[in-house]
Amino acid sequence: MLAILKAENIGMTYESGLIIKKRHSIFQGISLEIEEGHTLGLIGPSGAGKTTLGMILAGLERPSSGCVLYRGEDIWKLKGINYLAYRRGVQMVFQDPEGSLNPRKSIERSIHEVLRYINIPQREWKDKARQALEMVGLSEELLCRYPGQISGGQSQRAALSRVLLLNPKVIILDEPTSALDISVQAQILVLLKDLQKNLGLAYLLISHQPEVIDFMAHNKAVLESGGIRHESILPQGGGARPDPL
Amino acid sequence: MSRLGAAPIDDPLLRVEGLSVSFDTAMGRVRAAQDVCLDLLKGETLAIVGETGCGKSVVANSILQLIPGNASVQGRVIFSGRDLLSLSEREMAEIRGREIAIVFQNPSLALNPIIKAEEQIAEPLQIHSHLPRSLSIQMAKDMLRRLGLGVGGVAESFPFQLSGGMNQRVMIAAAMILSPRIIIADEPSKGLDRLLARQVAEELSGLRDKMDASLLLITHDLLLARDISDRISVMYSGEVVETGESQAVFDHPLHPYTKALLDCLPQRGFHPIPGASPSMIDPPGGCKFYPRCRYKHDKCMQRPDMTEKRCPNEGMDREVRCWLY
Repeated sequence: MLAILKAENIGMTYESGLIIKKRHSIFQGISLEIEEGHTLGLIGPSGAGKTTLGMILAGLERPSSGCVLYRGEDIWKLKGINYLAYRRGVQMVFQDPEGSLNPRKSIERSIHEVLRYINIPQREWKDKARQALEMVGLSEELLCRYPGQISGGQSQRAALSRVLLLNPKVIILDEPTSALDISVQAQILVLLKDLQKNLGLAYLLISHQPEVIDFMAHNKAVLESGGIRHESILPQGGGARPDPL
Repeated sequence: MSRLGAAPIDDPLLRVEGLSVSFDTAMGRVRAAQDVCLDLLKGETLAIVGETGCGKSVVANSILQLIPGNASVQGRVIFSGRDLLSLSEREMAEIRGREIAIVFQNPSLALNPIIKAEEQIAEPLQIHSHLPRSLSIQMAKDMLRRLGLGVGGVAESFPFQLSGGMNQRVMIAAAMILSPRIIIADEPSKGLDRLLARQVAEELSGLRDKMDASLLLITHDLLLARDISDRISVMYSGEVVETGESQAVFDHPLHPYTKALLDCLPQRGFHPIPGASPSMIDPPGGCKFYPRCRYKHDKCMQRPDMTEKRCPNEGMDREVRCWLY
């Protein structure tokens, strides 16, 4: 299976102190592969650096050492059309759905922002926005609402609809359901699975919930104590844990 | 008026009768709680579970008259023979903390960031029991020690120097310091990771036992509710739809919403409930779960009352708001 996004020997350190500088290591020697149409589950305790690793893979943070390869090329050396393909091809969905949307813009305007960025003619914006919401199971009535006027689950779907407009190949999902109720969590996870099946998306799913990883992921990596451990491949498509209730 | 969760043995310590709470907003009247009836028995833990926005916290805050001025409240909350909803602010101030304490869901907002933990825990002792500062601080330190925070200078720390879990324990210590008869814990596990959430809940439960108090636990964590509560009330869109013994509700849920909610659990395969919760401003007539219910029929267009369902195999009968029973 072809790895579309790859981390090779990634390390991340940060500096603290104003006068006496001190360097702290978050993790070192991290290597992982995200395969086309598959989900890699990334699990680990709070503070292990899961979100930092996700941001490095999304190109939002530069690693202190090692490199990230998109279709075999180092993302920090990409230029022109190849860089653009990476920026659009790898997207990130964040934990706090309300924080992902501008509270002062209606959902419609937030979606239009993306359409403008990808040079869609203005006459098509209305239809495209409606289609984007439809893809994530939202009705067009929501277009005129503001983030504060919709639920957490609806906000997460709206954030996902913006991401999908860019036709991504990989989506980095940073705890996409941990701020949601259990019933909404189930809706979002099933939606993500359907989208993967229909669009052939690859996911890096960051979660601290083992059952979410088991349900969604094809492969699993555990980030802890500054290193990574790859665990056995789960049954295709994941599955529910045995019922202990 | 329907009665919910009627006390199977002694008289309840706290009885909520037909509590309805609505808020007037620019968008219309929000019906946050409707005809809620609950009994909290002496020494028991009653969990109120449901999704965000279903009215759990509104019920908890209404008990202590801690709701905004634009709220309209109807019904009765009977405690020690008095209706708490008819008491003045001065009378309520005597009850809050001393008789009924509340642990809020966001310790970083509920604690004063520029006052040391020990001072905040000691404050109720100085206000209600008029104890001298030195003695109250000593008692605050003792309480922290009971919660496993006796070392590392936690007592002398400010909330911003402590982790979320430590702050939550400081809140619990402040709530328990006067040995109240009832503790209301409003989402005590929110924002904490799973292990910490469970520890906090178990500590609350342990203190409840030691102090012979009753615990009203408000949570959306179904497994936590099952594990530490004696009975569970399930709320949907401002109404209680089912009440029963915790394990029995999990093993044999009766109301279609309870069944659907339990099916969402990871352990049961993440089966989502179709549709979304109804608007609290313009809720559907009849049963509120009717538009999403897989067992719906014509009668569901009328509002069902709470009915008692005999459950011979369980410790107590079940109360359920559904035309199926």
